Amino acid sequence: MNVKFLTKIEELLGPFSAKLRKHPNLTFVVFGLLLCLVALLPHLGLMNFGTMSIIAYITIYAVTALGLNILLGFSGLISLGTAGFVGAGALGTAVFIEMGLPFELAVVLVLTISGSIGALIGLFSLKVEGIYLAIATLFVGEILRQIYTQVPIFGGNSIQIDGGIKLLGFIELSQIFKEQRSMLFVLLVIIMVLMMIAMNNIIKSKTGRALLAMSRSEHAAQAMGISLLKYRLTAFVLATLFATVGGIMYAMYFQTIPTTSWSLDLSLFIIAMVVVGGFKSIYGTFLGAFIIHGIPNLILKDLLGDISYIFSGVLIILVIIFYPNGFVYIWVDIKKGYSKLKKRLQKDVTTDGK
Amino acid sequence: MSDLFGIIFNSLETGSVYALAALGIVLIFRTSKTTNFAQGMIGTFNAYIAAYVMLSLGWSIWIVALLALVTAFLTGIIIDTFIIRPASKVNAISKQIITLGIIMVIVGLLPKIFGVASFQLPRFIASEYSLDIFGATLFYNTIFVIVLSLTLMGGMFMFIQHTKWGLATRVTASDETTSKLMGVPTKRVTMISWATAAMLGTLAALFVAPRVSVYGNMLLTVQISAFFAGTLGGFSTFFGPVVGAYIIAFSRNFTQFYISDIWGNVMVYTLILVFLYFKPYGLFGKKPTKKV
Amino acid sequence: MESKKTILELNKVSMHFGGLTAVDELSLDVKEGEIVGLIGPNGAGKTTVFNCVTQFYKEYTGDIYFQNHDGDQVDLRDYKVTDIAKLGLIRTFQNVELVKDLSILDNLLIGAHHHYETGIIQHILHTKKARSEEKRMKEKAYEILKFLKIYEIKDFYVAGQPYGILKKIEIARTLMSDPKLIILDEPAAGLNDQETDELETLIHQIRENYHTTILLIEHDMGFVMNICDRVCAINFGKFLAMDIPKNIQKNPSVQEAYLGKDE
Repeated sequence: MNVKFLTKIEELLGPFSAKLRKHPNLTFVVFGLLLCLVALLPHLGLMNFGTMSIIAYITIYAVTALGLNILLGFSGLISLGTAGFVGAGALGTAVFIEMGLPFELAVVLVLTISGSIGALIGLFSLKVEGIYLAIATLFVGEILRQIYTQVPIFGGNSIQIDGGIKLLGFIELSQIFKEQRSMLFVLLVIIMVLMMIAMNNIIKSKTGRALLAMSRSEHAAQAMGISLLKYRLTAFVLATLFATVGGIMYAMYFQTIPTTSWSLDLSLFIIAMVVVGGFKSIYGTFLGAFIIHGIPNLILKDLLGDISYIFSGVLIILVIIFYPNGFVYIWVDIKKGYSKLKKRLQKDVTTDGK
Repeated sequence: MSDLFGIIFNSLETGSVYALAALGIVLIFRTSKTTNFAQGMIGTFNAYIAAYVMLSLGWSIWIVALLALVTAFLTGIIIDTFIIRPASKVNAISKQIITLGIIMVIVGLLPKIFGVASFQLPRFIASEYSLDIFGATLFYNTIFVIVLSLTLMGGMFMFIQHTKWGLATRVTASDETTSKLMGVPTKRVTMISWATAAMLGTLAALFVAPRVSVYGNMLLTVQISAFFAGTLGGFSTFFGPVVGAYIIAFSRNFTQFYISDIWGNVMVYTLILVFLYFKPYGLFGKKPTKKV
Repeated sequence: MESKKTILELNKVSMHFGGLTAVDELSLDVKEGEIVGLIGPNGAGKTTVFNCVTQFYKEYTGDIYFQNHDGDQVDLRDYKVTDIAKLGLIRTFQNVELVKDLSILDNLLIGAHHHYETGIIQHILHTKKARSEEKRMKEKAYEILKFLKIYEIKDFYVAGQPYGILKKIEIARTLMSDPKLIILDEPAAGLNDQETDELETLIHQIRENYHTTILLIEHDMGFVMNICDRVCAINFGKFLAMDIPKNIQKNPSVQEAYLGKDE
C-alpha cells in the first residue's frame, strides 16, 4: 500500500461523499436499499428466514432506540418505560385489527393513545426530575405491563392477527407465506428509513437545537425564549411515538404478539443500544441495535453457544468504558489513524526519493 | 381478624426485604451516582452460592448464609474495582447501563456454574415453630427476618450518623470532589459501599428464597419495589427509602387483598405517581438548590 | 440624553430570599441608546436585579417597565420568562452558557429561536417554507459572525474554543434575537487586557450598528468607567447613586461601599 493508492481511492469516492454530505437524507435511502437486499437472500438460498427475522428485530429496535435517543442524547432525560410503549404499539395494533378496524385506522388510534400518555409524562417531567423521573417512567412501564398481562382483552399469553395485515384495504401480507414475509421485511426497512429521515430533519431543525439548549442549561434556554413545557412535551411525545412505531412494526412483521415481553429488561436493552451505539447519532443508534441484538444472535450464539450472554455483557461494559459516548465515535479514531497513516506513507515516499 | 393480622405480618416481612434492597440501592446511588439495576442480580448470585454449597456439602442454612455474605462482600469489591472505578468518568446514563452489563454477565454465569436447575433454601427457623395471634399464624422466622432487618438497618444508621466512617460516607455522598480534596478516602468509601450493598441484596435474597426458590429472576419484584421505595421515600436520605419500602409492602398487600388482585399494583403505582407530582423529591427528600 | 425615551424602568423593586433582602426598594432607569453599568461589591444583589428584570424571579415587589418594539410601556411581570426574548430583551450569563456540542453557527441559531414561524411538522417534511426560513436565519447569522470576525470558524464546535471567543459567541447569539436591550452579566470577566479593549470597541459598535441599549454588570472598574454613559451603584441591594462615571467615582457613599469607612 502506498500513498498514491490512497489518494486514488479518495479521488474515486470524492464526488460520492460530497454529494452525500450535501444531501444527508440520501445516505439513509442508500442504506435502506442495501438493507432491502437482505429480503432476497433467503429466496436465493443464501440465508435462512430466521436470520432475516433477527435483522427485522434490529430495524424495530433501531426505530425505538432513535426515539429514546431524542431523550437521552438531546434532552438529557431518561425513560425506563420504553418497552411499555413498544408493547402498546404491537398489542394495540393487533387488538384494534382483531376488533375489525382497518390497519391504517388502528395505527392512527394506537399512535394517538401512546402520544397522549407521552404528553402526560412530559407534563410530569416539569415537576419531577433526575432519578425520580426515571423511576416514575418505570412506574408507567409497570402499569402498562400489568395491564397487558392481566386484562383479558389482550388474550392471555399472546394475541394473533389472523390472516395477516391488510394495507390500504387490499394488499394482504401474511407472515405465513415466505414471499409475503420478505415483502413485510422490505416494508419494515422503508419505515425505518422514513423514521431516520424524520429524525434527521428534527435534530437539524430548531427543535433539535432547542432540546439540546434545554438539556445543557435550562435557564439560558428560557432566556432565549425556549419554553420548557413545549419542549419537554415534544421530547416525550416524540420518544413514545417512535417506540410505538417500533411496536407497530413488530405487529406487522411477526403478527403474533406476546403479552409478557414488554418489561424493564427490554427497556434497559433499548437504552443500552443508544449508549453503546452512540448518543445523538442516527447511524450510531442502528449500530447499537446491531451490537446489542444482532451480534449475540447472529454471530455469538453459533460461535460461543451459551456463553454469548456473558460476552455481550462484557462487550457492553468495555464499550462504555472506552467509548463513553458510543461506539460510533470510533469513526473519529479511524479518521485520525487514517490521516496519520497517510502522513507516514508520504514521509516514506519523500525519504525514498532522496 | 385473622386475615388482617396475616396481612400485617406478611407486609412487615416483605417490607423488610424491600427495605434491605432499597438501602443498598440508595447507598450506591449516593456514593457512585448511579442507579444500580444489578442490585437484585448480585444478591441472586450469592444466594445461588449458598444454595449450591448447602446442597453439595450439607451445611446448615446459618453457615451457608454467612458464607454467602462473605462472597457478597467480595463480589461488591470486585465489581467496584474492575468495573465501576474504571468507568468513574463516564456520564450518568452510561454508568447505569454498565450495571445492565453486570446483570448480563451474571445471568450468563449462573447456568455455567450452577447448572440450569433451580435450588431451594429453607427458612432460618423451620416453619413448625410459630405463634397463633388472633387466628393468624406468625412464624418465628418472620419475627427473625423483621427483627434482624430492623436491627441491621438501625445499626447502619447509627454507624452512618455517629462514626468517622459514616461521616466519610455522608460527605462522599454529598460532594465527592470536595471530599477527595479534603482527604476523605472516597475510593475506599465507594468500595465498601458496593460491598455493603451486595451484602444487603444477598440478605434480601436469602430471606425471599424460601418463598420463591432460588432462580435467576427471584429478586425482580424486590428490585423494582426497592426502586419505588427509594422514590417514595426520597433518595436524599438513607432512612426515607426504608420507610417507603414498608409503605409499599403494606399498601400493595392491602389493595390486593381488599380491592383486587389484578388492579392492586396498578392502583398503588398510580397513587405514588400522583403523590410524586406534588412531592417530587419523595416523602423526606429535599429539593436541591439551584443557582441562576 | 434627557430627551430620549426610557426603555427600562425599575420602580421600588425588592426581592427577598427567606429572611435575606437581596434587592431593597431599588429604582433606576435606562434610556434608549444608553450604555449603563450596574456596579456594587460582591453580594450586592446585581445578578438578582437581572434575574428579576428577565423574570427568572417572579416573587419581587415593585414594578419593572419595559418599552416594547411598538414603543408601548409594558409591565414585565405580565410576561413569562420565555416571552421576554420576544419583547426585545435578551441577556447573557456570568458563566458563559452555550451548547458545547453544537457548532458556533447552531448556537447562534438558538438565539433566533423565537423568530421561527414554521413548526415541527414542517421541519419533519422539510417543506420549502421551512428550508427558506432556515436559510434566511443562517444568512443573518453569517452577517453577525462576520461583524464579530468569527465567520471563518462558524462550523467548529463550541467546545475547545478559547474563553474570549466563547464570550463573543454569546454576544453574537444575543444579536440574533434583534434585541432592543441587551443585558450583559460580567462580559469582561476572564478576559485579558487586549481582549477587554477589543470588547469595549465591540460594545460601542453594537450600539451603533444594531441600535440597541446595553445594561451591564462588571467588576472591572476601568472598563465600566470607560464604556458607560451612566453608572448605577448599589450595595446590599440598596440604591447608592446613579450618575455619569466621573461623578460616581467621586461619590463618597460609593467609595465607602467599596473601600470601607475611614475611622
